[in-house]
Amino acid sequence: MREKRWFAPVYMFIVTAMFSSVVIGFARRTQNLVEANARLALETAVLQVIPQLYSEDASRLELHRIFVEQVSEPTDESGGAYVYKKDSRIEAYAVPFSGRGFWATISGVVGVKPDKKTVTGIAFYEQSETPGLGAEITKPAFKNQFPGRILAQKAEPLKMKRPGEPLAENEYHAVTGATQTSTRLEKIINDALVLWREKLEKGGGTN
Amino acid sequence: MAGEIGERGRHKLSPSARKSNLFIEGLWDNNPVFRQVLGICSTLAVTNLVLNTMVMCAGLIFTLSLSSATVSVLRKSMPRNIRMMVETLIIAFYVIIVDILLKAYWPQMSANLGPYVGLIITNCIVMGRCEACGISSPPARAFLDGLFNALGYSFILLIIAVFREVLGMGTLLELPVPFFIGPYWDKWIIMVMPPGAFFMLAVVVWVFRSIQMKKEVTAK
Repeated sequence: MREKRWFAPVYMFIVTAMFSSVVIGFARRTQNLVEANARLALETAVLQVIPQLYSEDASRLELHRIFVEQVSEPTDESGGAYVYKKDSRIEAYAVPFSGRGFWATISGVVGVKPDKKTVTGIAFYEQSETPGLGAEITKPAFKNQFPGRILAQKAEPLKMKRPGEPLAENEYHAVTGATQTSTRLEKIINDALVLWREKLEKGGGTN
Repeated sequence: MAGEIGERGRHKLSPSARKSNLFIEGLWDNNPVFRQVLGICSTLAVTNLVLNTMVMCAGLIFTLSLSSATVSVLRKSMPRNIRMMVETLIIAFYVIIVDILLKAYWPQMSANLGPYVGLIITNCIVMGRCEACGISSPPARAFLDGLFNALGYSFILLIIAVFREVLGMGTLLELPVPFFIGPYWDKWIIMVMPPGAFFMLAVVVWVFRSIQMKKEVTAK
C-alpha cells in the first residue's frame, strides 16, 4: 500500500489532521490564560506609571483589582490615554504607545501628570528586543530616568542622548549597544505623545 | 541547513556497541555542536543570558527526544518520499506546544525568547537526529538518542552562556558576580552582542576539539 500513488497525500492529510487537532485543542484550552496574561501585562504597565496606584508587593490579582476600580479606559476626552481620576478630577494620564522596534513591536505606556508635561514613568508590556541589549529598556536602569522629565512643548517631547552626555530636562540616555532599539523607541514614544496632545486639544479635554 | 545532515559524524562501531554508547555519543563523541557543528543558529542567538539559555535547552530537550521517538513510531507506515514533510510536521507540533506552554504559564520568558522558541523547528539538530536515528531505530532508542544529543547541545550552550553573561554583563542568572560587576572590570559589551557568540563558540569548539584530539592520540 505504501507504494500506491494516492497513499502519500492521504497519509500526509491524516497525519496533519491528527497533529493539528491536538495543537488546536491545546491552544483553545490555554487561550483564555494567554489573553489574560496579555491583558494583565498591559494593566500592570499602566499602573507602574501611575505612582499613586502602584506597589511593588501587590500580587497580579491585586493589581488587576486596582486597575478595574481606579483606571478609566482611553476616551476621546483623554486623548486616547488611560486616566486615573479621584473625585472626578484627573490625577494622572497613562499614554499608550506602540510601534515597530528592532525585531518586533514595542508597546508600553508613558505616565504623565495632570499638568500634561511632567513624566511620571515609563513601562513596557510587549517587546522582543535583543536580550542584554535592546531589552535593557525594560530594566530599572533605563526606566528610572523617566520620572521627573519635562516634556518639551515644541518639536519632540522627549529626546535621547548618548550615554554620558549631559541632559536637558526633556532628555534621557539611550541604551549602549542598542542604537536601533533606542532610535525606534524615541520615535514611537514621541509619535504617541504628539498625537495624544493633538487629540487632547481637539477634544477640549481641559479640566 | 538541512543539507549538512548526512552520514558525517556517524561512527563505525558495531550496532551493539553503539547502543550502549548512546550517552557518550550524544554528549561527547558525536556532540551535535562541537563535533557535527549543527544547531549553530540558536547557539548564537539565545546564549547571552543563562536563564534564557536554560529554558531554550529545556525546550530543545523536550522537542528533540519526543520528535525523534514519534518519527520512530511512524517510521514503518511513512512513505519514504514524504518523510521530511512528516518529520517537519512532527517537530513543529512539539515546538508549538512548548510555545503555547510558555505563553500561558511563563509569559515573561515567552517575551524574552521572542521568536527563538518557534525557530527550534528549523534547528538542524532536530531534523538531523530524526533522519539519522529516528527513521531507522525503535522508539526507545530514538528517544534516548534525541535526549542525549539535546543534552550534549545544552551543556555546550550553557558553557557559552555563562561566559557571555559574566564577561558581558557582570551577572550570572541576573545576580551580580563579584569583581565582574565592576568597577575594576570593564564589561565586554561585545560578548552580549551577536558577534560575541561567534568568538565564544569558536573558542569552545577549539578547546573541546583539542581535548578530543589529545584523547584520540593517546588512544592510539
